Amino acid sequence: MRVLRVAGEGAQALTANKVRTFFMMAGTIVGIAALTVIMAIGKGTEQKVRKRVESFGPRAIMLIAGGGKDLPPPDMNVTTLRLEDAEAIRNEIEGLEIVTPQAWRFNMDLKHGANQIQAVVWGVEPNWHDAWNWPAVEGDGIAADDVATMARVCVIGSSVKRDLFGGGDPVGQTLYVNKVALTVKGVLEHKGTGGMGGVMDFDNRIVVPITTAMRRIMNVDYVGAIRIVSKDTALMPKQVETIRALIHERHHITPPMEDDFRLITPTVIGELARGTSRTLSLLLGALAGLSLLVGGVVLMNILLISVAERTKEIGLRRAVGATQRDVFLQFLAESLAVAFLGMLLGAGLGLGVSVLLSRVSPMPVVISWEPFALAALFALLVGTFFGVQPARRAARLSPVEALR
Amino acid sequence: MIELEGIEKTYSNGDVSTPVLKGVSFGIAPGEYVAIMGASGTGKSTLMNILGCLDKPTAGHYRLDGIDMVNLEDDDLSHLRNHKIGFVFQQFHLLQRTTALKNVMLPLIYADDYPEDAEDRAADALATVGLSDRLDYSPSQLSGGQQQRVAIARALITDPTIILADEPTGNLDSKSGAEVLAIFQRLHAQSRTIIMVTHDREVAEHADRIIVMEDGRIAEEVSVAAPRSAEEELKSLVNGEDA
Repeated sequence: MRVLRVAGEGAQALTANKVRTFFMMAGTIVGIAALTVIMAIGKGTEQKVRKRVESFGPRAIMLIAGGGKDLPPPDMNVTTLRLEDAEAIRNEIEGLEIVTPQAWRFNMDLKHGANQIQAVVWGVEPNWHDAWNWPAVEGDGIAADDVATMARVCVIGSSVKRDLFGGGDPVGQTLYVNKVALTVKGVLEHKGTGGMGGVMDFDNRIVVPITTAMRRIMNVDYVGAIRIVSKDTALMPKQVETIRALIHERHHITPPMEDDFRLITPTVIGELARGTSRTLSLLLGALAGLSLLVGGVVLMNILLISVAERTKEIGLRRAVGATQRDVFLQFLAESLAVAFLGMLLGAGLGLGVSVLLSRVSPMPVVISWEPFALAALFALLVGTFFGVQPARRAARLSPVEALR
Repeated sequence: MIELEGIEKTYSNGDVSTPVLKGVSFGIAPGEYVAIMGASGTGKSTLMNILGCLDKPTAGHYRLDGIDMVNLEDDDLSHLRNHKIGFVFQQFHLLQRTTALKNVMLPLIYADDYPEDAEDRAADALATVGLSDRLDYSPSQLSGGQQQRVAIARALITDPTIILADEPTGNLDSKSGAEVLAIFQRLHAQSRTIIMVTHDREVAEHADRIIVMEDGRIAEEVSVAAPRSAEEELKSLVNGEDA
């Protein structure tokens, strides 16, 4: 094919002057590298957000004691969030599937025989198992009767089973928390580690009836949080505002008083998970745009100089049979070849930087094929947009003038 | 085969128009070796450009193999140059950083049908000009005379109707010039049609016929009864060196 032969002539020019070729590519390399990193971070962030929202519960709303903007740990010294608040929400807000209050203490001493460990004690209602999708896999979970009778029972996490009971069957055995004897009635499903930094052991806990926790163990009349699960994500924005208004009213909070609670939604979780990656993406986006523009202008100017330097070559090609279209195509091919080579190197560089970022920073990074498709598209755009003008100038040279 | 009929060329620059060719008519038969001679400013370069279909006349007709190029579009002129004309320039005009073989193959890139045996053809053409052992040399590794011979091989590659040489010996020493002229005479002996433009009467006298240009017109046409033999000049030059 003549088109391919002519394009080949253009691509060959790359090897003719390697330093020149490098300068022609520099902007494209940086721009495409930045684009690749943006895409990797964007993908990684979305995956992280999805995971966090998934583990938080896509339909969940956490009403947490204590004001402020940050995530838990909630302030267990705030004494204003009551079981009655949970009852009010349950009665007055529509479209809710679960409303479950919870109270907890970290680093509680647990004893069984000679063994002693520290774990988290959670006071919960029976629907806590459903609210967190966290059933008992051995024995039974917390039942309504347990809450009503302030029963001295508990359900333990798998780490507690391992560390306190040596992995043996703990159901029916007794453990002590603050000298309160609790009968183990079940073992919770294994959840592993996670949370902020991924180092929190979710299985190092016991759950007890919330009444038992508040009256017998912690001696408090308030809770740490109320977990609410909506029936439908579409209802959630409205529900969040109604809950906020309800708690304002119940706690007698009027602006400009500060809230004594926080409402955490999947949206908030997502924003927190995104963190700085959006800012970084914006900065990199600006860098990518600027590099591609400057790089494109440099590419165009070097090509224009090249056309001026190579008038004799162009004249000769015209003399031996090249049409204006052939000459145009040759220089456009040169521009495209530079852009695509720059794209390959840029994508490689971006890939390297992405991998490095994922190693040395907490920035979530996911490598996928999309950046390369986008890079190829940008290379095509840059190569064409900035190659047309020089190619046109080359094609319009009169062979007589060029050979003079 | 070549017919020029009342060729005129006038360059216009605003209100000033400069007539360069003022009605040139002649014909060239197949297999002829013709020199077009004249001092600079006589219009011979302009005539050369028109003969090479690089430029169109302002008036008149130029028929090459029966085709009147005056009526052709730019693309058709490119096509015509590609397969009917082989150019040899004073400045050689080889592509730098490109081997002799690739330089010779250049016109084939723009041919309608790229021959599968392009490389063999190019090697044959280089053999014709005595450069079989220089296929992979780039122009910077070749002498001026060798570069001009590569250019002649390039002119031959498409098997053109005419070879058009513009001061082919202008940049060469006398020995290299004689070698180039000897090649033209060999090609002429193989009944190639050659038109050579030169300002040098001695060079022109290697052709069968000389057309002398003066002030945009043909001043005289001379048939050379006994053209000089470049081969013999070459021998005496070599002997002279030995002596």
